Amino acid sequence: MSQYVFCALKSAFLPIPSPNQESRIKNQESRNKKQEKMPDKYSMEDFLAKAVDAAKIAGEVIKHGFYQTKQIEHKGEVDLVTETDKKCEDLIFYHLKQQFPEHKFVGEETTAACGATELTEEPTWIVDPLDGTTNFVHGFPFVCVSIGLTIGRIPTVGVVYNPIMDELFTAIRGKGAFLNGKAIKVSSQTELVKALLATEVGTKRDKATVDETTNRINSLLFKVRSVRMCGSCALNLCGIACGRLDLFYELGFGGPWDVAAGAVIVTEAGGLVFDPSGKDFDITSQRVAASNPLLKGAFIETLKQSE
Amino acid sequence: MLNVKGNSSNRQTSATRSFFSPNLIAPFSRNALMAAKGSMEELLSAAVDAAKNAGEIIRFGFHETKHVEHKGVVDLVTETDKKCEEVIFDYLRSKYPGHKFIGEETTAACGITELTDEPTWIVDPLDGTTNFVHGFPFVCVSIGFTIGRIPTVGVIYNPIMDELFTAIRGKGAFLNGNPITASTQTELVKSLLATEAGTKRDKSTLDASTNRINSLLFKVRSLRMSGSCALNLCGVACGRLDMFYEVGFGGPWDVAAGAVIVTEAGGLVFDPSGKEFDLTSQRVAASNSLLKNAFVEALQHEE
Repeated sequence: MSQYVFCALKSAFLPIPSPNQESRIKNQESRNKKQEKMPDKYSMEDFLAKAVDAAKIAGEVIKHGFYQTKQIEHKGEVDLVTETDKKCEDLIFYHLKQQFPEHKFVGEETTAACGATELTEEPTWIVDPLDGTTNFVHGFPFVCVSIGLTIGRIPTVGVVYNPIMDELFTAIRGKGAFLNGKAIKVSSQTELVKALLATEVGTKRDKATVDETTNRINSLLFKVRSVRMCGSCALNLCGIACGRLDLFYELGFGGPWDVAAGAVIVTEAGGLVFDPSGKDFDITSQRVAASNPLLKGAFIETLKQSE
Repeated sequence: MLNVKGNSSNRQTSATRSFFSPNLIAPFSRNALMAAKGSMEELLSAAVDAAKNAGEIIRFGFHETKHVEHKGVVDLVTETDKKCEEVIFDYLRSKYPGHKFIGEETTAACGITELTDEPTWIVDPLDGTTNFVHGFPFVCVSIGFTIGRIPTVGVIYNPIMDELFTAIRGKGAFLNGNPITASTQTELVKSLLATEAGTKRDKSTLDASTNRINSLLFKVRSLRMSGSCALNLCGVACGRLDMFYEVGFGGPWDVAAGAVIVTEAGGLVFDPSGKEFDLTSQRVAASNSLLKNAFVEALQHEE
């Protein structure tokens, strides 16, 4: 409720500048934009450090709530949200906005409350405060905080933290990917039949979607070693990055917050993130696939054949 | 309550039958049974030690490159599986030379040992071998102990996540020493279901698997596939999963320990058809007691 009121008030009280003021403001904005595209005030390491702090603060809240009875609301028939989701998003936004007030913020729960914010070239924090809410509700230990930073719409910093298994995945573009501070890389598997595939059943339960999902899984099971479904898109991407999974795809997940951090982490671990059709990855498309570079071709081919 | 084929569902009656019926048990075995009866805690303790020893080996090998052999197209075994079985058997045999032993890898090598009423250790030295090979952290040692063919002691240890599940018949179930109970979920549509793709890749098995999953997805909250039958049973026991079924898994070693743990946590273990659970059938279902009927009904729908 408070988030909705904040959004409404923000829109209502923007000042109206005079023509001279307008021209000065535009020039200043243009200079600011250039600065923001290449922020020299902060380093990437600063961004990462603050994101890790925020993830750990939210992680404490998740850990505390993990074994309690949860008050659950439904965003859809099987799409859940809890007080913990909302509280974590508030905490993360508050922490990062304090440090970086000029940055933009896109969060799963704020979007649910206020509607989608367009992704621009501005430095933008894209946050899923609790990925794997169903797991959280049931006490299944695959839950995480996912915090990604895009600059020029490119995922540039990524933090995914599972506070139950105490696994912190981090990456900065160009600087490698890490699990609890140790360098990670994707698997070196070359054969589909020896590959471990992850996917999810998602939250849509209409017949067409469910039939398509299980037909696809059926088709893939003839070609891969086995299938895993663990309930967190961000952690599946991290699984690819550290080599414990070889292939991952998901269609129709919630939004860019599920993939923004994971995309950097996979890429920096030497993996590829792409659209399941084989085209370029689009962070806002609610479609993702990931694998090591050796498997990508065969994987896309198999996904096409399974349609 | 554990409904084991051939025994009544009344725990006390079946225990009495097993321990004191002269028609069922040979004299040598009766001595072993009497000795075992007084020391369930010792049996558990020995199983925990054996599981932890094997757990060390698994943990050590987890991040290394594995030399993988194939028992089937996607049914894997490694040196770690074999070494763990050796270590567990050596340890338990040294303490209980009169007991019987059934292990996954020994069975693969030497053929099936019949399950009798004798005190029998039923061991999966590494459940989730595919996960082990890939470094996916759902792996465990599973050590079950049956008396009169009834799962009586169960130990399941995931050395990567450091989770030790234990149970003795009649004495509750525990995770790292803390008591656990199955979930209290009453509605199928709010339930988290686990199953597995299994290791058979013929068309009829795969089609049956995915048709079943398709049917169930309209009725449950969501689906998990984590790659370890024993850990799925533990998931039901500690309430992080509401329902689990699997057909066509390897053998009794996948379920012997988990069956005790689920039962002692207040859950039910049964055949997916709703009939009594048969330890050697390679079929299992488990849930809390409130969901069983709806679950069995949902499982029948698409067969």
